[in-house]
Amino acid sequence: MSILEVSGLKKIYTTRFGSNKVEALRNVTFSVEEGEYVSIMGESGSGKTTLLNILAALDKPTAGSVKLCQMELTLIKEAAVAAFRRDNLGFVFQDFNLLDTFTLEDNIYLPLVLAGKSYDEMHKRLLPIAKQLGIDDLLKKYPYEVSGGQKQRAAVARALITNPGVILADEPTGALDSRSTDELLQLFSEINKNGQTILMVTHSVKAASHANRILFIRDGEVFHQIYRGGSTNEQLYQKISDTLTLLATGGDRQ
Amino acid sequence: MSAGFYPKLALSGIKKNSRLYTPYILTCTGMVLMYYIISALSMSPTVAALRGGDTIMSFLQFGCGVIAVFSLIFLFYTNSFLSRRRKKEFGLYNILGMGKLNIARILFWETVISGGGSIIAGGILGIALSKFAELALINIMHEDINFTLSVSWRSLLNAAGLYCIIFLLIFLNTLRHIHASKPIELLHSENTGEKPPKANWIVGILGAVILGMAYYIAVTIGNPLEALVWFFIAVIMVIIGTYMLFIAGSVLFCRILQKRRRYYYNPRHFVSVSSMVYRMKRNGAGLASICILATMVLVMISATASLYFGEEDALKSRYPMDINFEAQMESIEAMDEANIESMRKEAESICSDYGAIQQNLHDYRRASVAGMIKEGILETDVSVVNEFELMSFNNVYQVYFIPLSDYNRMMNENETLDDGQVLIYTIRRDYDENFLNISGGNSFTVKRHLDSFIGSGSAAMNIIPSMFVIVNNLQTDLEGLIGRTAPNGNDMLNLSWIYEFDTQIEPEQQTLLNNEIHERFRQIQKSEDTLGIRYSYSESLAENRSSFYATFGGLFFLGILLSIVFIFAAVLIIYYKQVSEGYEDESRFEIMQKVGMTRKEIRKSINSQLLTVFFMPLITAGIHLCFAFPIIQKLLMMFSLNNTALFAWTTVISFALFAVLYTIVYKITSNAYFTIVSGAKEE
Repeated sequence: MSILEVSGLKKIYTTRFGSNKVEALRNVTFSVEEGEYVSIMGESGSGKTTLLNILAALDKPTAGSVKLCQMELTLIKEAAVAAFRRDNLGFVFQDFNLLDTFTLEDNIYLPLVLAGKSYDEMHKRLLPIAKQLGIDDLLKKYPYEVSGGQKQRAAVARALITNPGVILADEPTGALDSRSTDELLQLFSEINKNGQTILMVTHSVKAASHANRILFIRDGEVFHQIYRGGSTNEQLYQKISDTLTLLATGGDRQ
Repeated sequence: MSAGFYPKLALSGIKKNSRLYTPYILTCTGMVLMYYIISALSMSPTVAALRGGDTIMSFLQFGCGVIAVFSLIFLFYTNSFLSRRRKKEFGLYNILGMGKLNIARILFWETVISGGGSIIAGGILGIALSKFAELALINIMHEDINFTLSVSWRSLLNAAGLYCIIFLLIFLNTLRHIHASKPIELLHSENTGEKPPKANWIVGILGAVILGMAYYIAVTIGNPLEALVWFFIAVIMVIIGTYMLFIAGSVLFCRILQKRRRYYYNPRHFVSVSSMVYRMKRNGAGLASICILATMVLVMISATASLYFGEEDALKSRYPMDINFEAQMESIEAMDEANIESMRKEAESICSDYGAIQQNLHDYRRASVAGMIKEGILETDVSVVNEFELMSFNNVYQVYFIPLSDYNRMMNENETLDDGQVLIYTIRRDYDENFLNISGGNSFTVKRHLDSFIGSGSAAMNIIPSMFVIVNNLQTDLEGLIGRTAPNGNDMLNLSWIYEFDTQIEPEQQTLLNNEIHERFRQIQKSEDTLGIRYSYSESLAENRSSFYATFGGLFFLGILLSIVFIFAAVLIIYYKQVSEGYEDESRFEIMQKVGMTRKEIRKSINSQLLTVFFMPLITAGIHLCFAFPIIQKLLMMFSLNNTALFAWTTVISFALFAVLYTIVYKITSNAYFTIVSGAKEE
């Protein structure tokens, strides 16, 4: 069963005075099955961020439909969007987006508190996740007191704690050193093995090579996709590099 | 590079940051304006020509000093907001290849533009408005004087000089900051990680204790003299306590809230409480300053306004009658009826010369002495009194002994006293004992505590409590005091004859009559038959009215001007606080939205934080004012103002007006805040 169905998505930005129109997404169609781990790759300006914003219900498409967890996103009312986002989506951002006024623990609780959960329930949910992510002894610290990798793990915990249908990750390794990157990708693979659907937008070939499927976007369209099949991460890495080279040298779809 | 490069760069910097620069320049202008006006008035020939103008001018000169010192502190403070925001820009310039010297040149031009602009604008506005200020002053003093528009060049020069120096100091200070920092630090100066605030129990509790002690002092003060001694101590304690409480106490309070999980992990409180901790830590000092400024304004305005509106009352209690004559007598023998009668004849004849019809006549002899009354014993010899007790002024009284015959005549009574019996009447403090023993003299039993007696100007003027003791006979009852000398060599007992009355003639005539009485008795005193007069003086209500108006009107006027300055300052602190918070909260606002808060929820949470942070200083100022009320009321007594209801009303009205003003400012600044916070997201 697909958890996310995107069809005929189109997004046109109009400049402030309405004279220039920029087509960020032309015609994007794809679907994601439950339990999949999908990477979306593309150059700067290819429309990745726009796509992610629409999937996150932070932006509205000009045309097309997005069905997430059996709900048509474009039809959800403005007031209910925030609650929908809270219940069905988990976010991991490049720059962590942790609130510096909260301890890591409180940062992780934030979506649950907004959903009106009691402390005991939140605490019960947090313990296994914190243990899995290896941040259980950092919970009382403030974001500025821990490393980038630790911050990102807290952000992952915040994304996981609501049991979301999909985790949306926007360049999650972008601000991490290589060791933290390895750890985080390892973590994503583990989470995915436990059945969590992950959708990750990334520039990094290494990050993408951990996914089961890679979508390539160019000029507002899905240009190409690669399935892992039986490949190891290293083989997949090679395949992705080849594809990117092809994309860069301007070859047409094979 | 062309010559105009740096000025242009500076100008565009100011324009780009107009949200920050506009209020800064306005403040500078306002300060220059106020300084010029007050300084010009303090040298104005128009003011000098007023009756009591000297008093006013010395008040105004004092006001000038206050504003100069305040400007220096306050402009430094507001400038620190500016330079914090600008550091990033300078960091960028630095990285793009500008040396620190180049940046200094930009800064120099910025200072020239903002400082020069505000000095010029403040000067022009000052010249325009000083006339209005002069009119207001003249009006407040109930005077009528012709006027012409004039420019006080000396004041203008003073103002320009003073503010040039202040701006120069600010410029040098900014240079110091820029010089000491590295480019990369400049670039990131705004987002250096901030330590989570720690709850400082010691400071918080100490603050509460100090404030509590100050409140206790203010409430338990017994009389005006004590009030004078303790007032400044209490003020300093309140200031220290307020700062400690706002800086540490508020963080402490939020921390306690955070410990209560039920309360804290609730959608309505979660975000507010945690960001409040940060706000408090960063703004504790600012909020405390707002609170102190607000309290100062309120105290100043309510006290000076009640003095001003109560000036007739005060005048009346200080000078109960149109003419107030007192003759101090050489000896107790000179106090006998026959001698007094010849003085009375003299005074009456002068009165009839002026056609004055004597009314409400107070005509009595009295013997007065200052002393300490403890457990019913009057000790007049200061040398045997414990010095510390004397300093506290707790039991010190001015005691007036009045013969029964004079009392009966004035009050139209037929009271009789046995030997050793007295009647007692006190003001400013009750006397509960049923006896009064003069140390080294007679002992009396109190036949009756009187409920009312005549008003007395000298008692009203005295800040210590007064006691009137009606005795059978001055000479026999005061044996123990007569002839004794005080440590300063004077007679301990002051003997005098009081002659006060209303006249029913014109004020000018009253003044003439008063002068005539004054002069005549001076001559008698110098003549061969002195009638036993040692010294005499006569005061008229009409003559003193203008000096009262000058004093009280001048205080009120200065109170208003200084209040405007302080309000200006408080508003600016609020504005900068909001704006700088807005920039900080911008990113937080975005994150919360991504994590699943609706705009409405965010706005609600921010609104409740703003409200709390905003109105806390106002409420605290209100509480300060409540506790300050009794002590200030006692201080006003020194100005012969005893009208508590009037003071209560002016206080309430001042507070209400201030609250309205404050709310308007809140609306304006919170709008600025929301524009910043949502501005980035809106596009």
